[in-house]
Amino acid sequence: MTVPISLKVNSEVYKIDVGTNETLLEVLREKLKLKSVRRACQEGDCGVCTVLLNGKPVNSCLVLAVSADGCEITTLEGLSQREDFRALAESFVRNHAVQCGYCTPGMIITAYYILQSMDEVTEETIKKGLEGNLCRCTGYANIVSAVKDAYEQQK
Amino acid sequence: MNQNIFLGLRNIPSLNYHRPGTLKECLDLIRTFKSNSKILAGGTDLIPAFRAGRLFMSQEGHLIDVNGVKELDYIREEQGTIKIGALTRLAEVESSQVIRKRVPVLGQAIAQMGSLQIRNLATIGGNLCNASPAADSAIPLLALDSIVKVANSERERLIPLNDFFTGPGKTVLSDDEMLVEIQIPLSNASGSCVFYKLGRRNAFTLSVVSIGVYVEKEGNRVRNARIALGAVAPTPMRAHNGEKYIMSKNLQREVIEETGRIVSEETKPISDVRASAFYRRQMAFILTKKALNCISYS
Amino acid sequence: MIHDKLTKTLIGESVYTDDFEYPNMAYCVFVGSTQAHARIKEIDVSGAMQAPGVLKVLTGKDLIQYMDPLPATSDFSVVGWHWRVPKVYPLAVEKVGFYGEPVAAVIAETEYAARAAAELIQIDYEVLPAVVDAKHAMQPDAPLLYEEWGDNVQVHVTFEWGDIDSVFSEADRVLKVSWQEGRVSGFPIEPRGCVALYDKNTKELTMWGTYQTPYIAQRCISTTLRLPRSKVKVIALDIGGAFGNKINSWKDTVVALGSILTGRPVKWFENTREFIVTGPHQRDTIWEGEVAVTNGGKVLGVRAKYIQDLGVESTNRGAAAMSIVPACAAIPNAYRLKALKVDAYGVVTNKSFFCAYRGYGKDKGVKFMERIMDWIAAELKIDPAEIRKRNFIKANEFPYKQISGYVYDSGDYEKVFDEAIRMADAEKWRQEQQTLQGSGRYIGIGYAFTVEPAGVTVANCVFTGATEARIRINEDGFVEVWSDRTEIGQGGNITIGNVVSEILGANLEDIIVHNVTSDMVGSGPISSRGAVYPLSAVAKAARELKARVVKIASFFLEENEENISVGGGLIFSVKNKDKKMTFKDLARRAYFSPGPRGLSEELKLKGDIVLDVIATWYSPNTAKNPTSTYTTFCSSADVAVVEVDVETGNVSIIKYVHVHDAGRIINKQVIDGQLYGGIVQGIGEALIEEILYNEAGELLTKTYADFLMPTSVDAPGILLKHVETPSPFTETGAKGMGEAPIIGSKAVIISAIEDALRPFKVRIDRAPATKERICAWLSSRKNGDKEVKS
Repeated sequence: MTVPISLKVNSEVYKIDVGTNETLLEVLREKLKLKSVRRACQEGDCGVCTVLLNGKPVNSCLVLAVSADGCEITTLEGLSQREDFRALAESFVRNHAVQCGYCTPGMIITAYYILQSMDEVTEETIKKGLEGNLCRCTGYANIVSAVKDAYEQQK
Repeated sequence: MNQNIFLGLRNIPSLNYHRPGTLKECLDLIRTFKSNSKILAGGTDLIPAFRAGRLFMSQEGHLIDVNGVKELDYIREEQGTIKIGALTRLAEVESSQVIRKRVPVLGQAIAQMGSLQIRNLATIGGNLCNASPAADSAIPLLALDSIVKVANSERERLIPLNDFFTGPGKTVLSDDEMLVEIQIPLSNASGSCVFYKLGRRNAFTLSVVSIGVYVEKEGNRVRNARIALGAVAPTPMRAHNGEKYIMSKNLQREVIEETGRIVSEETKPISDVRASAFYRRQMAFILTKKALNCISYS
Repeated sequence: MIHDKLTKTLIGESVYTDDFEYPNMAYCVFVGSTQAHARIKEIDVSGAMQAPGVLKVLTGKDLIQYMDPLPATSDFSVVGWHWRVPKVYPLAVEKVGFYGEPVAAVIAETEYAARAAAELIQIDYEVLPAVVDAKHAMQPDAPLLYEEWGDNVQVHVTFEWGDIDSVFSEADRVLKVSWQEGRVSGFPIEPRGCVALYDKNTKELTMWGTYQTPYIAQRCISTTLRLPRSKVKVIALDIGGAFGNKINSWKDTVVALGSILTGRPVKWFENTREFIVTGPHQRDTIWEGEVAVTNGGKVLGVRAKYIQDLGVESTNRGAAAMSIVPACAAIPNAYRLKALKVDAYGVVTNKSFFCAYRGYGKDKGVKFMERIMDWIAAELKIDPAEIRKRNFIKANEFPYKQISGYVYDSGDYEKVFDEAIRMADAEKWRQEQQTLQGSGRYIGIGYAFTVEPAGVTVANCVFTGATEARIRINEDGFVEVWSDRTEIGQGGNITIGNVVSEILGANLEDIIVHNVTSDMVGSGPISSRGAVYPLSAVAKAARELKARVVKIASFFLEENEENISVGGGLIFSVKNKDKKMTFKDLARRAYFSPGPRGLSEELKLKGDIVLDVIATWYSPNTAKNPTSTYTTFCSSADVAVVEVDVETGNVSIIKYVHVHDAGRIINKQVIDGQLYGGIVQGIGEALIEEILYNEAGELLTKTYADFLMPTSVDAPGILLKHVETPSPFTETGAKGMGEAPIIGSKAVIISAIEDALRPFKVRIDRAPATKERICAWLSSRKNGDKEVKS
């Protein structure tokens, strides 16, 4: 069954037809060609598919696109246009928080949310906030440093 | 579902999709389609179940997406009761000022569930209806003797949460009913309540054993106690023998020790890939003691 | 411009396999067995073949018409070893040998259609008893995976160095030692995949994908498909981590065949579950033996039996049957051993195949030895740091020929170790340990020292030691570099850029490091060889190119060669600062204006006129010391303090120090990144990571929810420090690095837990030390069991 939906993705409104079984991840990647939203486990265990859904980080592999009708979605492509994201991206690069890069879009989206929305930004709250984004390359050390560094900068 | 093959990822079935805007519409749909339908709330249990091949539905099946039933998304305090709509996201419950003020243990337990991303999608109603024996939100709710309101298109009924779960993945819901509200009478929350979770790693992990202990005490004497545990029985459970034992006793070392022993004996854990029954029973003992020690010092 | 992966993504230039799209591309999905060991009575694909969108369905029986069996990645039967190579096709033909083993491939218009069709495949199995434990597999009545073998021993070698019998007879004491590591693997976040395109016009096959080692993949794919190498090109795309898990290629041959038969480009990209179930597994080792020591704590010799579980096999899908060699040869580690004897077995079981994971084989010997050191210390009541120091190879003894034949290039073990002990403030923690015991709290201090052999060259196997690098300066002023050092997230590209920039003088932003393809001969970034082989070839090529640049520039600038220098994107005279040119100027003049015709007679006769050089490089260490398989030897010290909750078994890491000697540091950020990453992986192996099969051979840990890896919350604070003893054997003085951190960390955490539980007399002889296991060890000691029940 296909259903017409409207998604506001990275500030642009898309009217598309989606199968009722298509995930938001699939629609973002395949229909909207937003390749920064990645596939790995596709069952909510790794976080590489993280996007902001109405401003909050979610696993896009667990959201049916049809269920996200009318929602606002932000991917890395959209975040990269924002002024308040630049410092975080630069901090990630400066602090060598990126090795193979596969987990990075999901990771940085969650990190962005932590910086923008969490009451307390400490090493502990950063680590806890990132618990749903697995990384195998970096051991997380430089990722946490990068978020802390960006936080210090924005204060 | 073809159980004869290994396939790394299964297709999500293409179902008939419904998106009710009101509770009434929703209940009517459930009544119509009954067990040929599934409710989609957060999707954090449903989607992985399809993907892993644990759940199968044919394309004649129906998906009832309740994410539009906004009237079920609320947290209120009314008439001495905290009322949480079934559709409330776990993250909302965790960060709610009402919850933090009135029943902080619930937020503390939820903070340890899944990941930030999962908590932004998963709903409290969904967590309870999925009825995993390890459902973390159920544990403090049981310790606070919460009540759930379920409804069908004719009427509502109130069920003590303690009577809600019937087996792994099973509840008392009939096939035309839906969970609509969780109620926590504040009179059940006047004492101290602590929650502990033991998992195999420090974050983003299923509970191996979890515990919620509620105690009202006078000085050091227990006036009322409720002990709830997760992942140690076919359902989230209350340790009634332990509760009976500790009533009217002073919270001292020997009593705590004995309570732990009794609670441990009441559990009916299984051995699975996460832990053995033996370890679970042992940890039920340890966590009971830990919780009671914490309460006795407060 | 060498971009980091975030910038690359932000500018829309990253292409991981899942991003790679081709017009008219079809999709391949693999269907696996739900039995661990069974004969395939029948596979009914008729339903699948008729499903919407399906182009082709292949089974093992189809494959044998088009393909040869997968070639062996190593074959030591030629040197007389007990070495068996089974006949293996990427789809099971008559028998399945592990849970999830692919039995069919469905190629369809879309991934969705392929998966839908896959559901319609019916398999009729004749279930056979499965064997999931290596020791059981070695018993005479065990079920056989390969009946023609008569047993389950794929490989067996006995290593003996020194006079083991006399060493044991002269020893003051002989201690029994045993050590077991559970099954784990790397499972980088990006699973595996490829896109295959067979061009019917040119009859050329191109493969793009997660190829850690394109040249090795080319060998496998072309041999299997009976295609000349010249007609097969394998290209590495952006790769989301590898750690050795993406070395082999076997399913890719089926994807390629799919393209050949359908005439379409075909993509395969697995998800994590498929990766965990059918991917390469590692560790799963058993050591049992004895160590001979003096009363003064000198380790004289070790003799042991080593059983390596190879899963279904490790010579065809996998390339690690020969890892038993470094497993044994790495045992002496940092110490002066007099003799070593190991009876090593590679045993097949009904589990997924064994291949490489950070450490490969060297890790096993080192961890075994580090456990032994702790036990000797405990037995002789000598401090565990002191016991190591008493046995260290001294700084003035390098290059040091180890009894196992490796020639260690350089090092200063005492300095590295003492620094780690100082940084960890071990003395203070010892006191703290005493104090806390009084209040029923148990902390432990662990030590580990690791010597990491890197830069491998082996005969009769795919890890040959060949490497080549090519550098070219273009007319547009950009410098292109090709090598076999695939970028897998380890920082290969940036360090290549650093080396070329330093030697050639070009600006880093003008250097282009190409994705690695099978056009360059070499084994890729395996076994930490990146900084040894490929980087040495790059340095060598850079030097040769620089010499040519200097010659040509001296002609154009009318300056003597000895006065020409390079740097900052310029070639200039040190005597006259007006005499300078950019690389773009030089190239334009050398290629076009005036071009080669306008160069000097001498240059023209020599032919040194094209700004394009290829160099190869081989280890001078191995060349001069034929028994030294490896070229460089990093060393590192790990010191960790943990607290163990003796009620729950929970382990908290309260201090972690790692001091590392990787020879000359080219890029400190890159190296530190490798250290943090490897340490956290090793901590995961020590505490939570375990691949588990049940007795019937079904894999129980199929997802990241069951095979638990560390999250950000599980990563402790880590203090790092560097010591640099340059390697005399590489072109840059750098040593190959990256595996020591995963080795030492696993050893040190186990060591620290054991130290914390010393009052309870728990001896830890296996990993992972999960919470439950720790509790079980404690309670079995409490029950007065003499033997700790693992």
